[in-house]
Amino acid sequence: MAALMFLVHLWNYIRGYVIIIAKGGVERFINICTRRQILLWDITRQDSDSVVMKASLRGFMLMRPAARKSGCRIRIMKKCGLPFLLNRFRRRQGFKAGLIFFAVLIVLFTSMIWEIEIEGCSGDVARQIMKVLEDRNIGRGSFKMGLDPRSIASDIQMNVDEVAWAGVHIQGVKMTISVRNITPRPEVVDESQYCNLVAERDGLITKVEVLAGTLKVREGDTVTKGQLLVSGTLESQKPEFGAKNVHALGRITARTWYETKVLLSYEYTKRIRTGRTHENTYIRILNMKIGLFGNREAFEMYDSVSYDKMVKGPFNTEIPIGLTVEKLYEVEEKKVRLSAEEAEAFALEKARLALSRELSPDCKVLDERVNILKSETGDAWLQLIVECEEDIAGREPLGGD
Amino acid sequence: MKRARKETDKDRKPRRGILGIGEKLAELFELPPDMFGNRPKVTAVGRGEVLIENFKGIMDFQEGMVRINTSTGVIRITGSGITIKEITNESVIIGGKISNIDYDA
Repeated sequence: MAALMFLVHLWNYIRGYVIIIAKGGVERFINICTRRQILLWDITRQDSDSVVMKASLRGFMLMRPAARKSGCRIRIMKKCGLPFLLNRFRRRQGFKAGLIFFAVLIVLFTSMIWEIEIEGCSGDVARQIMKVLEDRNIGRGSFKMGLDPRSIASDIQMNVDEVAWAGVHIQGVKMTISVRNITPRPEVVDESQYCNLVAERDGLITKVEVLAGTLKVREGDTVTKGQLLVSGTLESQKPEFGAKNVHALGRITARTWYETKVLLSYEYTKRIRTGRTHENTYIRILNMKIGLFGNREAFEMYDSVSYDKMVKGPFNTEIPIGLTVEKLYEVEEKKVRLSAEEAEAFALEKARLALSRELSPDCKVLDERVNILKSETGDAWLQLIVECEEDIAGREPLGGD
Repeated sequence: MKRARKETDKDRKPRRGILGIGEKLAELFELPPDMFGNRPKVTAVGRGEVLIENFKGIMDFQEGMVRINTSTGVIRITGSGITIKEITNESVIIGGKISNIDYDA
């Protein structure tokens, strides 16, 4: 009831009402008003012949004939409500313009995408999805009007391989992309395809496990690349029965060696920060960056580190407005002479990095050897030899049927 | 809810007894008594508000007193600071500190 009364009062305030004073023949006046559906409220006696009451604007318009009929004189004491308040601003153009501008701004900003959330996938897939969105020019600040969630979702499914299903959901100013990943299909061995196993690289065989096929090598054998390890042809003991082809299966573990050479260099250019710094500040709105005064390329050579200051809105929302501070550190390049040990350590680091790219992921490193080689011209080389153990068997289809 | 019916011997105008046909029907079928007829329904909540439905009109409105015409007679409400909080075609809400609700006054 109280809530209802409040709503009634609010409604009256919005529609506007008048406080009027009526004199003489008040009872008759009130009765005529009620019969004519004019709502009156808060009627109080002022003195012996006058009464104060409130009436809606519409009601007040209809009141004149009722007053004339009842011989009651009415006068407005006060005008209340929103229409009278707004009336005061009628002549103020700036106020009106501001009101319109504000309304337009609200409509504009609520019809944009402010936040994109991708859920249900790893960062790598999320980056690919972002790229798809970028290709379609969808990002923070794009308008919701022309966006079709279904076509975006199908675009993501078509262009990102790992995604089995994608759902795009726009709620308010937030776009949520839910993704289901494909479970990778296990590798299927097609046993009807006959094949041999051959060595994929040179090595010394340490262990043989054959599941199907005829073993052609033994433990301790040295094999070269391309040599037959397990034959897919099964010879029967009696030659008159002929041979049968199978899909050779097995694991041939061998010791393998990898080597790399790196030129030893005793000189090294070092970047040293001089200690002088300069800060550039940008205002970030959506994906735009606006530089402030005093931003410049302060140094000839510098390292820059930039970080974003996020602004938290109410209710812990993320607001796409913030500051980006870029800190520049002046650097100097200095040539430094290295001692023999330092140079070797440096070259070893490089060699390891180069080798690690070459090694297959399932191989086990057993031993590492480092040699320093001198050439006739005086250059020194560092040689790194790594001894590994790995499965060297590779499939090679059998000819014929 | 306060409901009082005072029978006085001085009946000014002839009436159809206390119950009309509608009211008799309502009694017969055990329906709420306010469903039929236009008898006034007086609802007093606490002391500060009296709601009268099915009234005919305001007869008198003085400081501290209001008389309301209904089909069963005139209801007089007295008290201090009496105001008509709201008045529509069907109902009137009387506010203020109420001390009396009198019938046929």
